[in-house]
Amino acid sequence: MRVVVRSLSKSYGFLWALKKIDIELRAGECIALLGPNGAGKSTLLRLLSALLHPTTGEIFIDGQRLSQGSSPVRSSIGLLTPSEHLYEGLTLRENLRLFNSLYARKKSLQDMEEALNTVGLRRWSDDYVSSLSSGMKCRLTISKWLLLEPKLLLLDEPYGVLDGSGVDLLESYVKRLCQSGGIAVMATHHISRILALCSRALILHQGRLIFDEPRQEPWESFHRTFAEFLPRGDKWSS
Amino acid sequence: MELLRQTFWLLWKDLLLELRRRESILAMFFFGTLLLFVFHFAFEIPAERAAEMAPGLLWLAFIFTGTLGLTQLFQAERENHCLEALLLGPMDRAGLYLAKVSFNLFLMLLVELTVFPLFWVLFNLAFWELLPSLFLVALLGTIGFCVLGTLFSAVTLKARARELLLPLILFPLMIPVILATVRGMEIVFRTGQFEEALPWLRLLLGFDVIFLTAGFLVFEWVIEA
Repeated sequence: MRVVVRSLSKSYGFLWALKKIDIELRAGECIALLGPNGAGKSTLLRLLSALLHPTTGEIFIDGQRLSQGSSPVRSSIGLLTPSEHLYEGLTLRENLRLFNSLYARKKSLQDMEEALNTVGLRRWSDDYVSSLSSGMKCRLTISKWLLLEPKLLLLDEPYGVLDGSGVDLLESYVKRLCQSGGIAVMATHHISRILALCSRALILHQGRLIFDEPRQEPWESFHRTFAEFLPRGDKWSS
Repeated sequence: MELLRQTFWLLWKDLLLELRRRESILAMFFFGTLLLFVFHFAFEIPAERAAEMAPGLLWLAFIFTGTLGLTQLFQAERENHCLEALLLGPMDRAGLYLAKVSFNLFLMLLVELTVFPLFWVLFNLAFWELLPSLFLVALLGTIGFCVLGTLFSAVTLKARARELLLPLILFPLMIPVILATVRGMEIVFRTGQFEEALPWLRLLLGFDVIFLTAGFLVFEWVIEA
C-alpha cells in the first residue's frame, strides 16, 4: 500500500486549516501525527478518509485518486474515532453485522464473536451500544476495524477513553496492521506513547507540515521541533 | 445485486431501530389522528360535497404527517456521526437513498392505513367500497412524496433550522404530485370508477419515475456535500 498526498490544502471559509501538504506514506509505516490544537490534524485525517473534499490538491491510494462517492478504494480505509460511528440503538453484534455487510466482507457470525472476544466485549454482544461506557465503545470500534481489515487505518485521539489493557489492545492491533503491510496514522497528544509506537512523525503547525522524519535514536531534531512548536503545559506528558 | 443487498441491510437497520424506539411511527400516527379530529371539528362535509373536500383534507393530513416523519428520517445517522460511518465505507450511496425511501414509504403507508378508515368514520362517509381504489391512488402519491421528500430531507440534513427549511423547499416542488393525487382521488370519489382517473394516475406515475430517477442519480452529491 502506498498513499501519496500532493499539494493538499483545505480551507473553511477564509480559514486555511491545511496548506500545501505533500507527503508519501509507505506500507508498514506507523505515523505519529502531532501538533497543537487547531493545527489541522483531524482535517488531514478526514481528508485521507475522503470525508472532506480538499480545496486544492489530490490524494492517491495505490495509484487511484481518492474522491468522494462510492469507490472500491474506500474499503481499504478505516477511521477510528473513539465512541463515534456506532448505532446506539443496535446491539454490539448487530453493529458489526451491519458494517460487515455494508463493506461486503464475507465474515461469519463466528468471526464477529471472535472479534468481540479479542476486545473483551463478548459477554455484552447482545447489549445495546447505548449501555456501553466510552472505553467499551472504543473497544467495539477496534473490533469493527479488526473485522473489516482496512489497510490504511486513521486514528483520531484514540487513547483518551481507553484503560491500560485497552491501550495495549489498540497498540498491538496497530503493530500487527503495520507488520502486515498496512499503514497507521495516529493523531494524538499522548507523545510518550506514540513515540514508543511510531516509525515516523509528522508535526503540523497552523496547517503547515513543519516536520516529517522517520524515527531515529536519538531523535534530536524531533525534540527540538517539539520544544519549539508544541505548547507545553506544566504537566505536559513527554 | 450489490446495491439491493446494501439497501436491504440499511432498511433492516432502520426498521430495527424504529421497532425499538417507535419514535417516528408514534409521532406520525398521533399527529395524523389529531389532524383528522381538528378537521372534523373545523369542517362539516355534506355527502354531496365529499368528492370535492375529502381528497384535499386527506392529503393535507398525509403531507403534514409525512413531513414530520421526514424531519426524523436521518435522525439515527445524525446521532454519533453515523452518517460519517456510512460514507466512510465503499457502499453505493444510492443504496442509502433507496433504503430511506422504502423506510419512509413503509411508515407513511402504516399511517395511511389507519387514517383512511378513521376519516371515513369521523366524517360519516358512505363509500366504503371506494377505499381500495382511493388507497391505490394515494399509494402513487405517497411514493412521489417519499422519493422527493427523502432527497430534500438529505439536502437539509446539515442545515441549522432544518425543520423549518424542509417544508419551505419541499412543498412548492410537491405541487405536481399533490395536484395529480387530489384530482385522481376526486374523480374516483365522484364517478366511482378507477379507470376515469387513469390520465392523472399516469401523470403521477411519470412524476414518481422522474423524481425517483433524479433522486437516485443526485443523492450521492447531496449526501456528501
